[in-house]
Amino acid sequence: MNFQFDNVSGMLHMAGHGIYVWTAVLVSLALIAWLIINPLLQRRHVIEEIAQDVAREQLRQNASRESV
Amino acid sequence: MISNMGFLAFLRRDLRLINRRRGEVASPLIFFLMAATFVPLGITPDAELLKNIAPGIIWVMALLATLLSADSLFASDYQDGSLEQMLISPQLLVMPVLGKVTAHWLTTGLPLTLVSPLLGLLFSLPTAGYLPMMAGLAVGTGCLSLLAALGAALTVSLQKGSLLLTLIVMPLYMPIIIFGSATAQYSIEGLAWSGPLAILGAMLAVAIALCPLAIASVLRLTTIN
Amino acid sequence: MNWNWFYRMGSPRWFYESTSRWLPWLGALTVLLLVSGLVWGLAFAPQDAKQGNSFRIIYLHVPASFLALAGYFLMAAAGAIGLIWKMKLSYMVMKCAAPLGAVLTFLALFTGAVWGKPTWGSYWVWDARVTSMLILLFLYMGVLALQYAFDSKDVANKASAILALVGTVNIPIIYKSVDWWFTLHQPATISFTEAPSMHPDMFQPLLVMILGFYCFYAVALILSVRVEILSRERKTSWVRGLVKQATHKNLGAE
Repeated sequence: MNFQFDNVSGMLHMAGHGIYVWTAVLVSLALIAWLIINPLLQRRHVIEEIAQDVAREQLRQNASRESV
Repeated sequence: MISNMGFLAFLRRDLRLINRRRGEVASPLIFFLMAATFVPLGITPDAELLKNIAPGIIWVMALLATLLSADSLFASDYQDGSLEQMLISPQLLVMPVLGKVTAHWLTTGLPLTLVSPLLGLLFSLPTAGYLPMMAGLAVGTGCLSLLAALGAALTVSLQKGSLLLTLIVMPLYMPIIIFGSATAQYSIEGLAWSGPLAILGAMLAVAIALCPLAIASVLRLTTIN
Repeated sequence: MNWNWFYRMGSPRWFYESTSRWLPWLGALTVLLLVSGLVWGLAFAPQDAKQGNSFRIIYLHVPASFLALAGYFLMAAAGAIGLIWKMKLSYMVMKCAAPLGAVLTFLALFTGAVWGKPTWGSYWVWDARVTSMLILLFLYMGVLALQYAFDSKDVANKASAILALVGTVNIPIIYKSVDWWFTLHQPATISFTEAPSMHPDMFQPLLVMILGFYCFYAVALILSVRVEILSRERKTSWVRGLVKQATHKNLGAE
């Protein structure tokens, strides 16, 4: 198993096919990354939402307790 | 004597109802003819080229015309509540559904099949292609109606259901158009067209067996909720 | 037979808590497999005699196609389990598998198109596999559209499950029909996804990438399902407890 290209710029160029291969690689990696990052972001968002709900309920409970 | 469990009753009922709105039946047919006219206008009027693509074009138009009329399968029954009545009645839902779909085919697929030679004429379809094309259309539109009914059942309770119906059903139509078009083309090329027709027949058999069951369970789901 | 283990698996809380333990490890494995496979395939595998370097796209295209198809069956299976055993968790898996599979199908089509340009001269070629993949994308979009069309989550779940199952029955028919159609119309073109005569030096990184993609799919799916669980079970005490912990941690860090 040996490195198939003369140097790094050779690997980028890939005998003329470089732009196709690297486009495919970059788009794939971008989509894969997004498919992982998106749920993580959503998780944070959902947790914030639930925390807000809890806080709102606490306020309501406190308010009803005081009014009694 | 085995009862048909409501098949004939609903077939007659739906035919009678459709008869009262005959204009609606004409629309898919007129669409079929008019849209096919777009092809020579938009692509080419060259008879040689048209001859080659004739079976395919006719099939695509038949497909679109069926999708146009699919919405009306359950829509009016849903709106006036008779669908719910069908659901709570003690008999199996499968046969009434089959009756309704048959009525739909009799008023969509069959007229399309009978009108198709006219389109064949417009597209210079070779003589060998006429009978196989009609046979393929007759059998294939049966499948199209069954699958369209499934889509209609899934979207019956939705506001803008018809577009979603098209989206859902179109991928399922792809094998049918392949073999339907092949039936005519085989004959034109001199090959045995019974082959693709047999496959269409098999698809129809499976569809008749399975679709009503699926449609019935979907109707139970989407109507009562 | 004791089916407790099966019913326990259907508990969203059980799923959330057990995946919390081993998901990071699976994620690490995914990164390891993908990075090593990609580097191997892009830099160290020999190039193809006929296609040259553009063939390296196979290391992305084939795994994506595999997962796209497998993902549809997983989605349909999850739907079936939900219908039969009425498991909420199963429906959540089905719902999350839909967009994931659709994106992977798009990726397969995109990488295929980019591969096609230097190899066959055009971005799109109507052949059996490409067309089948396109129809698969449409099937995914149908299930996705249906999922979001209904107000009632229960109806949406069941309707999507039924549609996914109908699609599953149709997939072999579609693939076979399209295959038949294209062998009829085109002389045998070299199918670039046929790998029986692949040299082991080229095949091994492909295996690594396929494994890596399977792991990635699992990670992405599990992450989505966890979010879905948090969202749907937000009124329960265990989720509330979790949220409190999470927000306290954040406040503590500040």
